Amino acid sequence: MTEPGGDIGEAPVQPDEALGLAVEPVTQWDLFSSRLRRHRLAMISTVFLMLLMTVVILAPAMESAGWIDDPTKGLVDANGRILRNISPRASDGEVFYTEIIDSQQVTFEASPTALLLGSDDLGRSVFTRIIFGGRASLTVGLVTGFLVASLGTVFGSLAGFYPGGVDQSLMRFTDLVLGLPLLPVAIVVGRILPEIEFLPSFIRTGPFGIAMLIGFLAWGGLARIVRAEFLSLREKEFVEAARAAGAGDNRIVFRHILPNAMSPIIVQTTLIIGAAIIIEAALSFLGFGVKPPTPTWGAMVSQGGRQAVRGFWWEMVFSGAALVTTVLAINFLGDGLRDALDPTQTIERK
Amino acid sequence: MLAYITRRLVYGMVTLLALSAIVFSLLQMTGGGPLDRLKLNPRMGPYIQQLTELWGLDQPAWKQYMTWLKNYTTIEELSLQNALPIIAIVGGAAATYGLVKYVRRQWKGLAVVGVWAVALFVAVSNTTIRFNWGTSFSGSGDVWDLVWSRAGATFRLGLTALAIALIIGVPLGIYQAVRQYSFFDQLGTIGAFIAFSTPIFIIGIALQILLALYLEKWTGVKLFYVTGMNDPGYSDMSAMGKLVDTLQHLILPAVSIALISLAGYARFQRASMLEVLHSDYLRTAKAKGLPRRKVIVKHALRNAMIPIVTLVSLDLAFMIGGAIITESIFGWPGIGRLYIKAITEIDYPLVMAIVMVIGIGLIIMNIVADILYGVLDPRVRYD
Repeated sequence: MTEPGGDIGEAPVQPDEALGLAVEPVTQWDLFSSRLRRHRLAMISTVFLMLLMTVVILAPAMESAGWIDDPTKGLVDANGRILRNISPRASDGEVFYTEIIDSQQVTFEASPTALLLGSDDLGRSVFTRIIFGGRASLTVGLVTGFLVASLGTVFGSLAGFYPGGVDQSLMRFTDLVLGLPLLPVAIVVGRILPEIEFLPSFIRTGPFGIAMLIGFLAWGGLARIVRAEFLSLREKEFVEAARAAGAGDNRIVFRHILPNAMSPIIVQTTLIIGAAIIIEAALSFLGFGVKPPTPTWGAMVSQGGRQAVRGFWWEMVFSGAALVTTVLAINFLGDGLRDALDPTQTIERK
Repeated sequence: MLAYITRRLVYGMVTLLALSAIVFSLLQMTGGGPLDRLKLNPRMGPYIQQLTELWGLDQPAWKQYMTWLKNYTTIEELSLQNALPIIAIVGGAAATYGLVKYVRRQWKGLAVVGVWAVALFVAVSNTTIRFNWGTSFSGSGDVWDLVWSRAGATFRLGLTALAIALIIGVPLGIYQAVRQYSFFDQLGTIGAFIAFSTPIFIIGIALQILLALYLEKWTGVKLFYVTGMNDPGYSDMSAMGKLVDTLQHLILPAVSIALISLAGYARFQRASMLEVLHSDYLRTAKAKGLPRRKVIVKHALRNAMIPIVTLVSLDLAFMIGGAIITESIFGWPGIGRLYIKAITEIDYPLVMAIVMVIGIGLIIMNIVADILYGVLDPRVRYD
């Protein structure tokens, strides 16, 4: 920001500076981050989510570095028997996996973390699968979050800024989307998605398709919130002032209204990310989500549940814990953001 | 009010049309037809052509949709079993007239809604009505019979879950608000956060494995059953035995659906109670020296419990999703499990029928909740 008159000639000496009392300007960002930093759970969650994100992004690199294994291959012991439902234990160097290269079966030593969290019914490392399952979950969360944020903001702001016909038709459409029962419709789409031939295969079977499906069904709530924000903000004095100063619609929306409507958008998107991860897991649990052999936490809980009945509890417990912890962290972060982005709120936490 | 209800019904119709069109066209996109499964059976060979024509699968998709729509909304059979439906409707109308004309109390609106709930229930339960919803493609028989034979189980599960969530959640939220920032309040807040972050299927499987399976394994006490709605020997049991058996099957799935909603109701009730507790009229009540108990029960509670009606109606869609998941975990013979089976086999008529039943139920419940809200809170006006 330039000071008034600061561009003409020499910069005037600030009286505070002359007295040696220079004041650091406190920006909105400083206020926000200091409030967020006071929310201890949100900070812990942020660290956790960043760690998870790093691990998940680096998963293929970790695989090729030999720290984790191939999530689709069963582990075998020295005699070539598949290690099914092995309880969690530290590596004893006796774990291998086989691969067929040039029609020759080659045996490799598995990574030291192979049995850290046990193995599943097909002898695959639960630890590896949880890390790769996080890829699916976080992809779904982020892609859905992006879709919901953009669709909700566009629809909501158009409806809120242009009352009358635009508002009416957009909101009727939003009501219609909100009126669709989410899980039953998502199940139908999840069931037929792999069979729609004109779609590229990464959408048909991978997490992207599921993310888009959830995103297109879930933006209605945010659109309503954004519309309400726009309706109240466009009547505010500062908007009137901007208009009086000759600002066009674009400038008013992007410089004056949207920045002020940002906080509910950010908070709502964070919560949607958590919800999307849960919905994807539920779809995968029912068998209508991301298709095997791609590991997902929901499918692992489903398989693990069947093993847990026989006493092999680890797959279900660890994948369930990964799912709950991640969503919990996202929700805590959302709570922290809500507190931090609301300037009127006084934090009474201890 | 009437205009408002009419408008809501019209919007509801449009939503239902859109829902049916979307689901129908999605089902059309599957690679193979619904007869793929039957084609695998060599003995079915000669009948495939016949079935294709019988079910109209050789028609273009839009024609199939129009046929479906026409059949779905056509009443096949409508007859009264006795005179009770007519008596109920006439009685309902008379009671409404009397209430509107002669009663000028605040509870008038609620009484009207209640009278009509009872009247419609009596009318529907004494009427035989059938719609032509078609025949299941996977050989499960007539869709109308199939759906309604399963609906009772889902209603039992859903209503129990709703009751659990309301009976525990609402008082919990009130208590948390009255003792704000106490240890119990903090505990409730953390608990709610954990519940919101836990998918229903994890709650369901955890309850099933821990309380139904391992509890018996470790202690030898059979407190809950793993699957099903009733024991095979149910019909030979005494009345008490029947009740106990029903509860042993019902509680775990109902709790797994209810838990997340319960946390939601408690949070919402806490916020709404806090808002009332900080309002001016409550300060006045305190200032004029009313005892604390009276302030909370008489002044705060009544007003703070109104908004939960809206939340419950919004929550129903979530509960239906929960029922689908829970029914497939606990082998509950309800609509949800039927839906999963129908989808897996791409059984058009069954999928469409269930989706529409869910859609219609949600829309009606939302309208009822809106009316109820206006009845309970005289400040609300419909325009």
